[in-house]
Amino acid sequence: MSKYFYIALTSIRSKLAYVGEIGSKTIFLFVILYIFLCLWKVTYTETNQNALGGLTLNQMLWYLVVTESMILSLPPIATVVDQDVRTGSLATQLVRPLSYPLSVFANTTGERCLSFAINFFAGSLIACLFVGMPDLQLHNIPMFLLLLPLSFALDFSIYFLIGLSAFWLEDTTGITLIYSRLTMILGGMLIPLELFPDSWQQILRVLPFSAIVYGPARTFVTGDFHLFFYLIAQQLVAIFIFAFLIHVVYTTALKRVFSHGG
Amino acid sequence: MNMLSSYLKLAAAYTSINFKSLLAYRGAFISQMVAMFINDSVWIAFWCLFFTRFPVVKGWGVNDVITLWAIAASGFGLAHVFMGNALALPGIIMRGELDSWLLYPRAVLPHLLLGKSSASAWGDALFGVVVYLLFVKPDLPHFILFLLLICSVAVLFIGFSVFTGSLAFFFGSAESVSVQLRFALITFSTYPSPIFQGFVKVLLFTLIPAMFVSHLPVSALRNMSLVDAAYSFAGAIGVLAMGVATFYFGLRRYESGNLMEMRG
Repeated sequence: MSKYFYIALTSIRSKLAYVGEIGSKTIFLFVILYIFLCLWKVTYTETNQNALGGLTLNQMLWYLVVTESMILSLPPIATVVDQDVRTGSLATQLVRPLSYPLSVFANTTGERCLSFAINFFAGSLIACLFVGMPDLQLHNIPMFLLLLPLSFALDFSIYFLIGLSAFWLEDTTGITLIYSRLTMILGGMLIPLELFPDSWQQILRVLPFSAIVYGPARTFVTGDFHLFFYLIAQQLVAIFIFAFLIHVVYTTALKRVFSHGG
Repeated sequence: MNMLSSYLKLAAAYTSINFKSLLAYRGAFISQMVAMFINDSVWIAFWCLFFTRFPVVKGWGVNDVITLWAIAASGFGLAHVFMGNALALPGIIMRGELDSWLLYPRAVLPHLLLGKSSASAWGDALFGVVVYLLFVKPDLPHFILFLLLICSVAVLFIGFSVFTGSLAFFFGSAESVSVQLRFALITFSTYPSPIFQGFVKVLLFTLIPAMFVSHLPVSALRNMSLVDAAYSFAGAIGVLAMGVATFYFGLRRYESGNLMEMRG
């Protein structure tokens, strides 16, 4: 396992050389958090409510800090796999004493952890400026830190599967875009699941999207134990299912790889 | 007049060639177009969900936001269906790839902008019109005004992309700044304008001219106000003029990349 750890570490080090580029994304984070603050401020005022979907304005903005930081930190996993398949560089990866899926996982997750840390730091400063410190209990943070890597792993497995579809499809950018948008809306990035129509909520809680974005963010702001244990189970089951799918698809896809030359 | 006609013929010829080149990869073109259509639909779904819970936000209802999305998406789409290179401008300048465009006996900027069509922009352009017809169900005068306002918004997006892209003449690597500013314009343009107050509202009429995409066109359509429509056009022309002036001013500082390039 240590070699994958070093791949992740190398990925972080190489990305640190371009920390300005990652930092420039925080401009967008600032814009989006400001807009959502304006939108929710108006909504809380017009409905004359202190809490919407169980969240106060302070919690709502901190919820958005977490969801936006997670989504904006996403590296182009499907594009990396797509390019490796399309350009044939997958063949050169196969001769290395490494598992290709695990090396891509280590590489992209290292990058994502760094991006998330920068985004979350910047987002926290912005949220402190707008609504002040979060109303957190101490146990919220370790619970969140347990859910976060599982959320990244689950998200990775789905993007990796999409990338592998390049073996059969002319272009995977369309599916990637659709999946990312499904995560945004059905995963509760823009609006917490509690504000969806009641009939939708039961379905959305079972789908993997909510375990990727909504769950960790909600746990961070509320520290709900019941939700936490449900999410851990949901994430582990979903990761197991998608890992199995990756194994099946990857094994089938490798039979289509032809390489020659030296 | 002859010159205008000549450039319109050039635009028609480029659009036809660009469309054919997109069709050469038919699967990729259709998938990008459909993906963008679905991407925009997701936002409409978000707003429908939001307004189901909170029916009115500072006087705006769901139809106003759908109108806003229809205008912004179609305007953005129309701009980059015809002038897709507007999005690539900072990269072209930064890598010194303007050389081949400077050799043609045409004005550099319009010729360069017409050189490419964005596949996903076709999805945006189509989405706006379909959504407006399906959800808002306009009468003929509203629909005509809607089509005119799409043109105004398209002009604004082109002008803004040219302005932000031309910053590369002055700051070298302006790709990231250009993208961030464009994202800011698109993002501010796609939320109900009344939620922004004070200094930010001033900013949205000037540095990031989102009010000419959101506030004025929606108000023009809602009240059938030709005055608001005229303000929208004036704002779009102003942004375009600023973009063109910045481009030609910056062009004096352009340094060739000494690249060998073939254009078919």
